[in-house]
Amino acid sequence: MDGSSPPPAPIALNIEKRELVNHPAVQILLPVAFAILVLALWEFLVDFYAVPKVILPSPMDIYARIVSAWPFLLQHAVPTGTEAAIGFVLATVLGISLAVLLSYSKWAHAALYPNVIFFQLIPKIALAPLFIVWLGIGSSSRLAFSMFIAFFPVVIATLTGLNATPPDMLRLCKALTARSWQVFLSVRFPYALPHIFSGLKIAVTFAIIGVIVGEFITAQAGLGYLILFASSQAETALILASIGMLCVVGLVLYGVVAGLEKVILGKFGQ
Amino acid sequence: MISLHGVRKTYASPAGPIEAVAGVSVDIAEGEFVSILGPSGCGKSTLLMMLAGLESITAGSISIGGQPMTGPRRDAGLVFQDATLLPWLSARDNVLFPIKMMRLPREKYVARAEELLHSVGLGAFMDKRPRELSGGMRQRVALCRSLVHTPSIMLMDEPFSALDAITRDEMALVLLDLWARHRKTGIFITHSIREAVLLSDRVLVMTKRPAVVVADVPIPFPRPRDESVQDSPEFTAIVARLRGMIEHSIKDAA
Repeated sequence: MDGSSPPPAPIALNIEKRELVNHPAVQILLPVAFAILVLALWEFLVDFYAVPKVILPSPMDIYARIVSAWPFLLQHAVPTGTEAAIGFVLATVLGISLAVLLSYSKWAHAALYPNVIFFQLIPKIALAPLFIVWLGIGSSSRLAFSMFIAFFPVVIATLTGLNATPPDMLRLCKALTARSWQVFLSVRFPYALPHIFSGLKIAVTFAIIGVIVGEFITAQAGLGYLILFASSQAETALILASIGMLCVVGLVLYGVVAGLEKVILGKFGQ
Repeated sequence: MISLHGVRKTYASPAGPIEAVAGVSVDIAEGEFVSILGPSGCGKSTLLMMLAGLESITAGSISIGGQPMTGPRRDAGLVFQDATLLPWLSARDNVLFPIKMMRLPREKYVARAEELLHSVGLGAFMDKRPRELSGGMRQRVALCRSLVHTPSIMLMDEPFSALDAITRDEMALVLLDLWARHRKTGIFITHSIREAVLLSDRVLVMTKRPAVVVADVPIPFPRPRDESVQDSPEFTAIVARLRGMIEHSIKDAA
């Protein structure tokens, strides 16, 4: 009996031919090539049918607009990005706290969980005007609304995660007379992390939607405002340029969360 | 000594009460290794969970060392069917997990944890995470974990049944060796007759409906034992006798 050497790797008798579609280069180049193809087709069709720029500018027109309006776009991206980030952080803190409360108090769970689910079913964008009524047209109403819609995925994901600990692990903790805070910090919370991060990745995109909706209604600045403003001027290229900028803001925020996930799950992953 | 006196466990269910354990009375001496053998669903795991203080006792009583059982005890070590290791901790930190949960000083136990891992052949794997270990290695870590806080009782709930047959035989020998060194009172749940006979001083046969102990069979082989015990005709005879009892009890229940 030799426990000190790992079991030998099984010998693959029937190595399947690696498919070309799985090659990393193909995985990157193919979607890029596809996007370029669509843009080229767009460019061609707009030229060919002489579509008015007000209806649909060509990708080159949009690019030219991005270049000419760059400082302007950047200036409006800052409030949108900042508010979405703050809304997301608030939603994370509150969402995780509520989930922890619900998982530890049966009474709180019984009283609140059905209501959380009920709220989840409301099309939350319909509530945006109420936030303006309550909090005015400043950034606080946009932050509150952004937090409000980003909050639910965090609660649901964290609750699911806190229940993901194998029952035998919890039995072991109980048998060892562990205190419930110890079990939370050393076992249940780390087990919940993969679930929490999948909730956070949804929440971060929701937070941006919240800010944009808020800006549609109230703002004097921000990309949502810029989109509305450009539309009132029939500046379709600027609308699309703003949307492009919005994608960049979304990618940056999502990238931060995904990066954090990679680091933390590297330490606490399974 | 562990004494079970008329221990019962009844669960409420929509179809009426279900009797999981129907009156078990057994005495287990200190340092004795006892296997509880029976078909699946005969209430043997429930019995073990009651011994660990994790299940309430519907009627009867359990006492350990003269003290009545009231809840989890810090002098018991637990091993489950799955290794149940924390995936983000190294083998060493997993073995030390009970020390952390019991709020004991870690420094005092690191050497013991490492010694335990060495003794089961995992000396070179102390810094590996569970996913880097094989199923048998993970279960060895779990065995070490159950011993790190120097418990006086080891409670094992089918610890090898999730392993493949070859690893399983190997693990039985690892446990035989580990137990010879540490000499705890061992209670071992299994449905493998050979495993029970190889490891135990006594084998209790439990049946389904009613979930009681129907036989208490002493295993006479001297200790220390090794795998050669299994080649003796006496071993084969005891295994055959136990198999007969279990088949008989299953036929009766059907």
